[in-house]
Amino acid sequence: MVSLKFPVNTPTEREKLFIHLYKKAFPATARYVSKKGGSFDEAKDIFQDALVIYYEKLTGSSFVLSVDESSYILGIAKHLWAKRFREDIRYTPLDPYNSEFIEYENKQPSTPMLLHYLETAGQKCMDILKAFYYDKLPVATIARLFGYSTVHSATVQKYKCLEKVRETVKEKSLAYEDFIE
Amino acid sequence: MRISLNKVEQIDDHIFSRGTTEDRLIFEAMLILDPALKSQVSWQKNALDFVQHYGRKKMKAEIESVHRRLFNEPVHRRFRNKILNLFK
Repeated sequence: MVSLKFPVNTPTEREKLFIHLYKKAFPATARYVSKKGGSFDEAKDIFQDALVIYYEKLTGSSFVLSVDESSYILGIAKHLWAKRFREDIRYTPLDPYNSEFIEYENKQPSTPMLLHYLETAGQKCMDILKAFYYDKLPVATIARLFGYSTVHSATVQKYKCLEKVRETVKEKSLAYEDFIE
Repeated sequence: MRISLNKVEQIDDHIFSRGTTEDRLIFEAMLILDPALKSQVSWQKNALDFVQHYGRKKMKAEIESVHRRLFNEPVHRRFRNKILNLFK
């Protein structure tokens, strides 16, 4: 798989991967959307969502890419297009791109105000938790990136942050109706 | 680690189905006996959902910045024209 040549631990490293994927896979997606009568902005939105899904698959532990990465991304993009524009989804081949990204589309965004609060009041914790749970980086890499001298102290910090975010979510959700919406 | 942090870790192991079968069974039993623990599990899942949304939001911002580079920097002109031509 080509992308394994790209480490994806830091924003700078991910930028290289995304430039590579843009150049390799965006033309096919844009061509497809254009053929369907879509606009440049629609092609862009769909492609960017497909990249997020691809990234999440890539960081998942059991992901083995059985087709070329640009075909994979195009497959996701086609599916997203069909879903958004209510084409008959039965005629959009799904294999080998399975159900994970359907879940992506269906997942409701969590309360934006509380997310905003967490971003501003606890960004450092959100960043370290993101590294563990979203980017799924190895703990040794996280310790290095966040300046912890040992893997143990990075792990302790992870749980401290998780506890802090959990208690904040609980407290804010229960205390302010504003956050519930 | 503080006792409360050990609890956070145990809940984390439970959410991600880690640990030995024995540990998992003990935790399941604790869940039945302790309603407060059950509620903590649910808040912790909630917190992890926020982390997921945060990660996704950051990732979209990173991708958008790549998009801006490709569609503005002179060095990527050929690529840009190739794409824009499709929408003429």
